[in-house]
Amino acid sequence: MENVVALVRTCDLMEEIRDFVFESLKLIDFKPSGRVGSVVIKPNLCYYWDADTGYTTDTRVVAGIIDWVRENCGDVDIKIVEADASAMRTKLAFKVLGYENLAKEKDVELFNLSEDVLVDRAVKVNGREISFKVPKILLESDLFINVPKLKVMKIVKITCAMKNLFGCIGTPRKVVYHKFLNEAIVGINKVLRPHLTVVDGIVALGRHPIKLGLLIAGTSPFAVDWVASQIMGYNPSSIKFLEIARREGLGKPENMIVKGEEISEFAKIFPKEGIISTGSLWTLQFWFLKTYQRLVGDVIPSILEE
Amino acid sequence: MIRVGVIGLGRVGMLHLMNSLKIKGASVVAAADASKSALAKARSLGVKRLFEDYRKLLNSSSDMDAVIISLPNYLHFESVKLALEEGFNVFVEKPLALTLEESGEIVKLVRESGRKLMVGHCLRFLEVIRKMKESLDKGVIGRLEVATLEEVINGPFAHPRTPTPVSEWWFDPRKSGGGALFDIGYHMIDLFRFFAGDADVVFASLDYKFNLPVEDGAILILRSKEGSVKGIINVGWYQQTIFPRYNFRVILHGNAGFLSSDHLVPHNLYLHAAKEGFKNLLRKVAGRRIRYLSYTYYYEPFYQELEHFFNCIKKDLDPMVSVEDGLKTVELIRQAYTLADNNSCKE
Repeated sequence: MENVVALVRTCDLMEEIRDFVFESLKLIDFKPSGRVGSVVIKPNLCYYWDADTGYTTDTRVVAGIIDWVRENCGDVDIKIVEADASAMRTKLAFKVLGYENLAKEKDVELFNLSEDVLVDRAVKVNGREISFKVPKILLESDLFINVPKLKVMKIVKITCAMKNLFGCIGTPRKVVYHKFLNEAIVGINKVLRPHLTVVDGIVALGRHPIKLGLLIAGTSPFAVDWVASQIMGYNPSSIKFLEIARREGLGKPENMIVKGEEISEFAKIFPKEGIISTGSLWTLQFWFLKTYQRLVGDVIPSILEE
Repeated sequence: MIRVGVIGLGRVGMLHLMNSLKIKGASVVAAADASKSALAKARSLGVKRLFEDYRKLLNSSSDMDAVIISLPNYLHFESVKLALEEGFNVFVEKPLALTLEESGEIVKLVRESGRKLMVGHCLRFLEVIRKMKESLDKGVIGRLEVATLEEVINGPFAHPRTPTPVSEWWFDPRKSGGGALFDIGYHMIDLFRFFAGDADVVFASLDYKFNLPVEDGAILILRSKEGSVKGIINVGWYQQTIFPRYNFRVILHGNAGFLSSDHLVPHNLYLHAAKEGFKNLLRKVAGRRIRYLSYTYYYEPFYQELEHFFNCIKKDLDPMVSVEDGLKTVELIRQAYTLADNNSCKE
């Protein structure tokens, strides 16, 4: 089976972003299978940084998706969902990042996945058994739409379609998975299977935020990430979780077709991470500070600590 | 020896505790915080008497000379009041209190008790601010006409490398007293008063980009009481910055020249840290006293303000930041909120 990934160039106008969302779904010829009664939309809310910083999904993309759902599935129950994280509280993030206003405007519900019934799921990845607490709603919805942001990430290089599902884990302390994050990302993608992924790359995040003006749409998170990683300047085979996902049967690169714009058009303006990442610099800085403190006995304010 | 109790061991409170342990002639005898992990850290630093309830610390520590209070804003009034009633000298983090009434009552209590109270207006101790004040007082830029002061940072969203949860009291105006204006506008207003004397707010505009009950940005215009100096203040919580990136500047425009903090702060904080760190290493090897926190540049004032406060207690001097400075800053902020509510300028 072929996996189509669409790249659509956007501009910054509200009304037109809706049209670009529609265009991207037309390019992949997306049609929900069967009758749709319930829809969940999972954006990527990252701490309290809004869409223009490159960290969080733009509410305008989610608004466009809601319009598309209403036009194509009728007056269905739509929920925008997110889970608490180690540092982020969903309730506050919905407010600060404009999702509370969006929900009122579009008459949809906001739902904290961490407050749902959590179902135990265990999967084996790379020989390691990993268990997750998964919100029941994600397993039962008729249409599950994944709306990640396009950005780099220090531990696993990129965070986009597959990593956004990691954010669905119901328990807030997801940091416990960080020691085997590549496997955990693949694991949660074995459990959760969104029907559609629409990536917000209007403002993307590389070395710094960039107005990339891009939407990516696809039905396979693996295929979307395979394309997205190339836009962010990586050889997809060098992304460990993609390689594990390929081995675990979550996708095949040879079956992909890219429609719409060229990958290279966006890759050439994306601010790629330098050889030394910000994370490595911070680690180095912290090591120097600790050594200095041991030698001299000076004070280190907690804001400079890990 | 000044015997100190530290109340509130959040990010700033813990820094005060660590600094107090380093200040010559001071010792920390007790600490209080509702968090068990914060108390465990205090214990690991050698603090013996630990309390989950600060009131117990105040009621049972008659051997202390002073308390340092770094509690959430809404607890400042009751904790300061109790500390003064128990006879302690008080260093309280800004703001002095939430309201003008509470601040006024604290001023009265300080006068009646004869104790010292200093408010943590730490930016007055920042090297660049001291240099600018000295130059201004020497007449280097002539007569001060306009001061622009701005600080746009993360506010309560500030975090180290790994983000941390934000306490929700920040966003409840009954507990925080306000948003970005009350948080960092407080410092800018105090600095304007430091340079130009007493003032009134003549224009105030607040922003609510984060859809919170408190403002996340504010722009004010102030005028000094004697009328000739104008102040333009721009503060916000909306910028994603992680230290050592620090978006803060003061420009003093005089009729004979100008002073800009951007010209006087280290251009590269990493180089500055390396240089200061090396100097401290040499001091250590030579058996001399090191200059605490100088490598951070912007955190050094936290050490210096406490050292100054302890010195005032020892030598019976008036602190450089008085309780009245705290009161007047709260008063100007309340003026600004009233003006912004009325959406008007003061004639």
